[in-house]
Amino acid sequence: MIVRDVICPFCACLCDDLDVHVEDGRVTGVDNACDLGSHKFMTDHRMKGPVRRTASGWEEIPLEEAIRETAELLEAAERPLLYGWSGTCGEAQSAGVHLAELVGGVIDATTSVCHGPSILAIQEVGHPGCTLGQVKNRADVVVYWGCNPQHAHPRHLSRYTTYADGFFVRNAFKERKVIVADIRGTDSTNLADEFIRLQPGGDYAVLGALRAIVRGKGDVVPPEVAGVSREQLYRIADLCKTAKYGAFFFGMGLTQTAGKYKNIRNAIELVDELSRHTKWTLTPMRGHFNVYGFNEVCTWMTGYPYAVDFARGMAFYNPGETTAVDILARKECDMCLVVASDPAAHFPAEAVEHLASIPVVQLDPFPNLTTAFARIQIPVAVSGIDADGTAYRMDGVPLRLHRVLDRGYPDDAGILLEITRRITGGGSR
Amino acid sequence: MVQSIFWYLKEFLRGPWIHAFLFAKTAPLVTPSYFREYPSLTEKECTHCFTCRMICPAPGAIEVLQEGGTWHPVIHRGHCLRCGLCVEACPEGVLASGRILQWQEEDRTSFAATFHIQVDHATCMRCGNCCVSCPVNKEQDPQMASGGHSANNEVIMKISSGRHTVIHEERCVGCRTCEGACPNSAIRVARVVEGLQGVAEG
Repeated sequence: MIVRDVICPFCACLCDDLDVHVEDGRVTGVDNACDLGSHKFMTDHRMKGPVRRTASGWEEIPLEEAIRETAELLEAAERPLLYGWSGTCGEAQSAGVHLAELVGGVIDATTSVCHGPSILAIQEVGHPGCTLGQVKNRADVVVYWGCNPQHAHPRHLSRYTTYADGFFVRNAFKERKVIVADIRGTDSTNLADEFIRLQPGGDYAVLGALRAIVRGKGDVVPPEVAGVSREQLYRIADLCKTAKYGAFFFGMGLTQTAGKYKNIRNAIELVDELSRHTKWTLTPMRGHFNVYGFNEVCTWMTGYPYAVDFARGMAFYNPGETTAVDILARKECDMCLVVASDPAAHFPAEAVEHLASIPVVQLDPFPNLTTAFARIQIPVAVSGIDADGTAYRMDGVPLRLHRVLDRGYPDDAGILLEITRRITGGGSR
Repeated sequence: MVQSIFWYLKEFLRGPWIHAFLFAKTAPLVTPSYFREYPSLTEKECTHCFTCRMICPAPGAIEVLQEGGTWHPVIHRGHCLRCGLCVEACPEGVLASGRILQWQEEDRTSFAATFHIQVDHATCMRCGNCCVSCPVNKEQDPQMASGGHSANNEVIMKISSGRHTVIHEERCVGCRTCEGACPNSAIRVARVVEGLQGVAEG
């Protein structure tokens, strides 16, 4: 059986044109997907059922027992942290926010270690965004700053930007100019018409210099800015100003280097400056398929996009204080529920050390590095493969993911609702 | 020592030498009369078969672009070597340069080419850049051109069953657009071009 027009639940491109071949309850092939997407569909590396750590290893436990113990741990905890959420659907995220409020915990997503700074900058100066369809049909200059889409979002160039023919861009490969800014050459810089090779940490200065040139104050720019020559900066500023429509994409090379949210603020203000000459937009290259979704869900439920602390009985948001890494590094947290992410693989050693010393329950379809010290792991269905759900694309477009097969796993939303039901004693809240 | 200084002064302080030293000038760059001009367009209609792109030895020298519904080759002067191969290879006689077309008619020469697409599956990321940018793919399936989803099996290549799959290699025209769109040289188009004489074209 071939299931058509399947949405890929890997990265935030959410490619919605996959054809998935299913035979005997297994995926046997995926058409149109990139390597990352097709591996997610094809992998058989799933856990069979919930497991609990024993003194010498692991034991398999029934789902009810796993849920009961998780509910007990959450209830007993003084300051529980509910972390992850970017690899699951909006329904589970919504259930997660309710649960965090119920137990007076802190809920944070992987956003805080990737595009958190982008959100801080957007809160300051706004988001000149657009859908990826606009980029595809109109953009003749595309900037990728501090990201390597060719590896992280392999189909971004062929579906939305460089190579896809658009309504107003007929000879896409010829008419679109691609500018890539990075500290080193990558597969994406190989495809660039202009490669801005900047010194590590030089993003703020280079963006500032570009702003000055676009503003007509180029005479203040020194001959070289963070390894980029003034001639190249002028060339790029000209290219950007003469574009019919420009699209600025940026990744963690901009958000997580020196300057952090100030870098993004500078980038947004460059886009603002360029929009006095022509039309420019800016889009963060969100990573996980539904990390944008968590920010949406959390914002409509609590008023804040991530790092929300319910300890006071109301939503409190203070990135740097209520973000997962900081709470763990301060050793405040005494129980952690990890959903659809792998903090052990990405957090600083200090935070992971504390995480390893407290009870951790993980809801994840696959064993990962966090499994190494989890007390309980409950394997769940994968949204978009064996569960339905809603996810937000990197440009903020919500898409409905449909299951392509049924493997009999429970979905995270169901488990979270069951945990909530146990804590409230079955009554409605 | 002193003698050699005098010798030096005597040798170099000559008027013509000083003049030549200070006012050295290379001859102006002129195109010799026996050079061919850059290929120019004839009145004939371009069928965008991309044979010119296939045969061109200079990177970035020729492109075939669509403007207002019609196609035509565009020569980039900074890159073109004026070798004339595109003029000779074009089956429609769209381009002309020097006496190439005249000789070709007299000698009844033509080219025959075959192509082989080779993909390194270990480095290919299945990003679809090559399939989307391929001009023949675009022609066979306009859906492919706008995002990489192929609705039919008439295309040269597409991403199928998690692999880059070549379906109709015989439709390849050897233009190498795919090579330019591949970030890590995972796709290569091998071209075997034969020069023929006295054989009817086609």
